[in-house]
Amino acid sequence: MSWSDIRRETAFVLRKKSVSLLLVAACALALFSVWTGSVEVAQQEATIERLLEGDKADREEVTHKHHAYGYIAYYTFHLTYAPPSPLAFAALGVRDVYPWKHRIRMLALEGQIHESDTQNPELSLAGKIDFTFVIAVFAPLILILLLHDLRAAERAAGRHDFLIVMARTHGSLWPLRAGLIVLGLWLALILPFIGGAIVNGVPIWQMAAVCAVVLVYLLFWSLLCYWVARFTFPAPVLASLLLGIWLATTYIIPSVGNVAIEEAYHGPEGGDILMTQREAVNDAWDLPHQTTMDAFVVSHPEWQGKTETSSLFEWKWYYAFQQVGDENARPLFQAYQQIAEQRYEAAGWVALLSPATLFKRTLTRWADTDAKAAWQYERDIRTFHAELREFYYPFLFNGSEYNEESLAERPAFQPNNTNKYPGIFH
Amino acid sequence: MPDAVISASNLCVDVQTKKILKNVSFNANRGEVLALLGGNGAGKSTTIKTFLGLMKPTSGSVWLDGVDVQKAPDIVRQKVAYLPESVMLYGHLTAIENIQYFLSLSGKDKSETEIVAALQRVALQESAWRAALSGYSKGMRQKTAIALALLREAPILFLDEPTSGLDPVAIDEFNRLVSQLAAQGATILMVTHDVYGACHVANRIGLLRDGEIVGMFDAPEQGNIDSEAVHKAFTQGVVA
Repeated sequence: MSWSDIRRETAFVLRKKSVSLLLVAACALALFSVWTGSVEVAQQEATIERLLEGDKADREEVTHKHHAYGYIAYYTFHLTYAPPSPLAFAALGVRDVYPWKHRIRMLALEGQIHESDTQNPELSLAGKIDFTFVIAVFAPLILILLLHDLRAAERAAGRHDFLIVMARTHGSLWPLRAGLIVLGLWLALILPFIGGAIVNGVPIWQMAAVCAVVLVYLLFWSLLCYWVARFTFPAPVLASLLLGIWLATTYIIPSVGNVAIEEAYHGPEGGDILMTQREAVNDAWDLPHQTTMDAFVVSHPEWQGKTETSSLFEWKWYYAFQQVGDENARPLFQAYQQIAEQRYEAAGWVALLSPATLFKRTLTRWADTDAKAAWQYERDIRTFHAELREFYYPFLFNGSEYNEESLAERPAFQPNNTNKYPGIFH
Repeated sequence: MPDAVISASNLCVDVQTKKILKNVSFNANRGEVLALLGGNGAGKSTTIKTFLGLMKPTSGSVWLDGVDVQKAPDIVRQKVAYLPESVMLYGHLTAIENIQYFLSLSGKDKSETEIVAALQRVALQESAWRAALSGYSKGMRQKTAIALALLREAPILFLDEPTSGLDPVAIDEFNRLVSQLAAQGATILMVTHDVYGACHVANRIGLLRDGEIVGMFDAPEQGNIDSEAVHKAFTQGVVA
């Protein structure tokens, strides 16, 4: 293969209207996905900014209005959030299924986390039209359109044998022509991504990794198309065969896998956790205070001896039954988490049979927009909520006088993934 | 290894259970034009496809310039120019662009001046040179392909029904070209059912029927092969 071969086939491929149109369409799709992804991420960031400002104002208002730790803890909301990673614009993942922001109070936590969670989807099938979706779902379709009749069209035109006889080497014809088409498609898809990645501040190494994994994914489909295109069937038959493989691997296998995983791994849902915690909290109003306190000191022995109450309502009793409510729901939550992790692992095995799912899984992992990232955010909330309790309990159980200055030591939520490289608009 | 430039030795080709060629043997030396005459389904095109490495012999062998085609098809194709019966060059390219494309594919580099000279030689009208081939008649496409074959400057030519679609003037011109090329040392295997055209240009004619060579006619020292005898053998199965 020589430069002359490359120049010849490049000119030839670019002069084919069908190829040029499909490459332009692919580029337009990629541009659209990068734009919508960037807009979505910008909206999430703007929402966080807006909520942070509101959060600060609310807190100042509560501090101004109330002068007791119990009231302050009750009325103060604390914004927790998982900011989108730089790569999130390309892989929005499950951020629309799993919440990425919660305004948390020092009440029972599980209900606050799970109040928007009524199901537990781990294997996202068709997703939003983000860059990952365009590559995983549309790019193979475009490749099939471009390559299925690589030989069949020449055969139908009566040129196939003539081309073979004329070609100096086998490599200077079919592999080169297919390779240039794949390279063209890769560039049409990846250039919009690179533009979006620069704007969103994606680190160079991550940008390179995405470019590489997109190329590997396209090469997989290209080799499949190239292999099928060798068969001497008419082009419509070859296209049908490739579309069948695409449908099976992109939708049928993940769907069947999802059903099988749902059947294999049963467990509580978010609604169950919510109800258990709320029932425990509601029931506590009708129980003797000491029953709640006895349960509370099992997990907080440091407050043994300071749990007696002398009136119908005391804040330490109120927060103690909130804590007990969480502890009642803990076995359910642990089972929920365990099942979710098992389903995630099982979905990983299914993904080995579905290149599209494997690709989506890889990119959402890198972009911190998958279920694992959502669980990490939940862990961050729990850690923060525990810190809040650790802050307020001494004031509540020791009966300390209110001192506004002490609130300066109150924990503030810090998201984990704030490592953002400077993008153009950041 | 045979001395002849084009050589078939006990060539048999089966497609599934059907025997297409049965023990076909012939030779063509440098500068000779060998025509294989036969009706539809006689095995003419199969013979050429076997020489081009597009079909595999069931038994026997085919050699080009001393090289076994089956062992080195890419090498022998470098020595061959092939003119199929129905040439479908690219319709969205012009004659010059088509020739440039296919020459580049075969590793040849020719200037536009040389290409234009070849197009003039095959008498393709100048107004068509830079027009897309999709608007060409069959004869014009055939002339473009002949120009391409000439520019390949290959020592061996395979012509499959080469005058199909050409008008009588173009056929005469083509036959003259074939004779010129042979005189310059090219070895040519032509398959056709045009008895008179074959007798006009060939040094030797093989009569192919149902996959077998049933007759071989050699040209005399001076003049052409007796077309009447060939015609009689072709139409009535009588070989002198």
